Amino acid sequence: MMQTQKPHLIRLEVNYRGIFQKTLAYHISGDVVYAAHKEGKTAFSNGRYSDDPQRNGIPCANFAYFSKDLTEEDLEAEASASMDITEAEVVVVLDDTMVKGLEPWGGYGIRPINEKVVKDGVVLIVSNRKPADLIAQMEKKKFPYRIAILPGEASFAGLWYFKDDMTDVRVLGAIAKVAPEIASIDTVANYVASKYKSKEKAAAARKAYEEVKVSTVNAGEGIDWPYPKPILPGWKDFDEGVYVKGVKRGFQMGPRGQNRNPDFKRGTSKTQRPVVRFDLCTKCTLCWYDCPDEVFDPTTDGLYDVNYEYCTGCGRCAEVCPVEDCIVMVDELKFENQDSPYVLYKKDPENYVKWAEDKKGKERLMPSPVTGKGSTVSKVETPKPFKKGVVK
Amino acid sequence: MVVKQEEKSVFDREELMTGTDAVAEAVKLVDVDVFAAYPIRPYTGVMDRLARFIANGDLDAEYIVADGEHSQFEIGKHASSVGARAFVGSSGVGWLYAMESIGVTATDRLPLVALVGNRALDDPGAFGVEHNDALLVRDLGWLLCWASTAQEALDTTLIAYRVAEDPKVRMPAAVAMDGGYLTHSQHMVRVPTKEAVRDFLPTYDLGNRRMHPDNPVSIAPQVNEDWVMELRRQNYEAAKRSRKVITSAYEEYNSIFHSDYEDPFIEETNVEDADTVLVGMGSAAVVARSVANEMRREGKKVGFLKIRWYRPYPTDEIRKALSNVSNVGIIERNFAMGAPDDGAITMHDLQSALYDSKNHPRVVDFIAGLGGREISKKEVRKMFEMTADKKSPKVSWIGLRE
Ligand code: SF4
Ligand code: SF4
Repeated sequence: MMQTQKPHLIRLEVNYRGIFQKTLAYHISGDVVYAAHKEGKTAFSNGRYSDDPQRNGIPCANFAYFSKDLTEEDLEAEASASMDITEAEVVVVLDDTMVKGLEPWGGYGIRPINEKVVKDGVVLIVSNRKPADLIAQMEKKKFPYRIAILPGEASFAGLWYFKDDMTDVRVLGAIAKVAPEIASIDTVANYVASKYKSKEKAAAARKAYEEVKVSTVNAGEGIDWPYPKPILPGWKDFDEGVYVKGVKRGFQMGPRGQNRNPDFKRGTSKTQRPVVRFDLCTKCTLCWYDCPDEVFDPTTDGLYDVNYEYCTGCGRCAEVCPVEDCIVMVDELKFENQDSPYVLYKKDPENYVKWAEDKKGKERLMPSPVTGKGSTVSKVETPKPFKKGVVK
Repeated sequence: MVVKQEEKSVFDREELMTGTDAVAEAVKLVDVDVFAAYPIRPYTGVMDRLARFIANGDLDAEYIVADGEHSQFEIGKHASSVGARAFVGSSGVGWLYAMESIGVTATDRLPLVALVGNRALDDPGAFGVEHNDALLVRDLGWLLCWASTAQEALDTTLIAYRVAEDPKVRMPAAVAMDGGYLTHSQHMVRVPTKEAVRDFLPTYDLGNRRMHPDNPVSIAPQVNEDWVMELRRQNYEAAKRSRKVITSAYEEYNSIFHSDYEDPFIEETNVEDADTVLVGMGSAAVVARSVANEMRREGKKVGFLKIRWYRPYPTDEIRKALSNVSNVGIIERNFAMGAPDDGAITMHDLQSALYDSKNHPRVVDFIAGLGGREISKKEVRKMFEMTADKKSPKVSWIGLRE
């Protein structure tokens, strides 16, 4: 008997941030497999091996596979002989700043978050933003698909610590809504109730099922998103041994004056970026000196420009800057581009300060000094006035 | 999986686990006294889980983080010599860094159990699977086997302790598994109860050799040419004896845990009446079995033979299984530069096992899946077709970008 028909197969991708969401992602990709098992489906999950989930903020992925008719071994042979997948029916995004793109490793460029979604598939994002704002940052597709928004802030915790804010079961409830063929909401809620021995968690899953908002993304909606095809030469096409061209030494004062690796920029690791009030800067050099990713470009007037393409959003510069309010970390999704803030400042200092204060807003996210406790939100009353003439 | 009523007592639960989770669970179940650690992917997976067991009070063991793999394996070796049940593990170049210690653990005849999460020997940097790391110990006096599913990883780790510690064997054992494919994939695993494992695995007893204040001994004294050859012969006999010990360990494992390991050493899928058989180890078996079944449904007489225990080598089993087969192809996730016929490592063992058998199947070799490159269904099918084709070359590279 020949197998002519394509077997039933659903592929789910969970995009998460290294360290902060590792445990969360494993909860989700594991629990969704258990739930599918309850409905008699074949399912298993795996993690993308080449990822770096032990590095802060790095975009990583887990996968889960489901089938109604394949055996587990056949499903594994069919679905996961390779370390990454090319298509997914369901793409889960645990942090909405990932819609700005993913660069999990070098040479592959920055890939759109919806790269793998198939026609009529769904991208499920945990976010407090409107679908249109997110679609505006995603790749244009030739076919329609769906976007589903589960209201909520990105859930972040440390490597060992799991922050049980119910995001795990809420995402399960949302999956039941957008892809009921994986598991129904009743199955999910019953599974959650019995696994976690918690009525509240089951209720949270059901509530998420109701709360998740699904809409259609039409073909052509979104932005053009060019990314390089990785260069994978044949074995005769490169020199023996292996080396890649290094970054030439080069150093000039001013924005983008330092040479950096063009093949791996790391900037998609960030969920927030430092906004610098150049007018308050005392030129102490600490941000430039301490930035672990050497993101600051010294300028001839003693200020330090930020190259956001390479900034991983670690917050170190904001911690070391001795001047209050001079460097503040701000939600990455508030920004449209990676342009040099220094150039902007020099063009029109007054406007720059207004722009910076507007981005910073009055609500400041401050990382908790105790790991694993998340962050606190503090209110800042009035932004400091722009003092003319502090910087020449 | 349906757990029958009478089976309930030997299983604690079923849980979704990665290959490394399963190994960690086994290490907990054998109640190790010393766990030595040095992080490297994928061994980190075992470290994470064991740290949690200890933190939660589920396991009472010394968890020693070493300053490198060499010290890590020394810790395991020394623990083993004082009668402590120990576990170590690494992968790729980490395993190689420990090699001096690995060598003497074998010549000291200490029944340490280790995980080798197969990984390419970087440079260049690579996490993906290659079997060269584990295969480097094939002739050193280590028992060596491959697990290809998470369940098998748990079972095999338990069995490895039983075989290694048996007074008739007392050799270290390495359980190898493919980095990434098995170590990062989550499947349902049946977890035995502690009590059932206690029935299966006797207490570790090194006898007169156990180093203790009440039993002062000096292990590994300088013996030079006076004793070494005789010691080698002892080791040689122990390796031979281990075949029987492995067989009886699996028999008992099957009867206690109702598992169906038909042959401990090899696993056959449609081999009996096949014309063409592929042979392989590790996670490639999952894809190969699936394709072998699919091609059977198409009426093709193909089969797959998985080698589970590589040391001791299943000479008789291989001879018996492959004597009536016309074409044999080997999937090799390893390399052996400049070897006979320019084939990879396991071809040479397989060919020499077959040399004295009456029928020589034609043997071809496939170098595939190096550095974690995928071995897809399509490629397995191609290997079956090339194996059946008498005109195909002795050695082929599969999945290589030309
Ligand atoms: S947040 Fe600051 S210190 Fe961290 S990478 Fe970005 S610029 Fe550098
Ligand atoms: S740390 Fe703050 S004050 Fe010091 S140079 Fe950087 S921005 Fe200026």
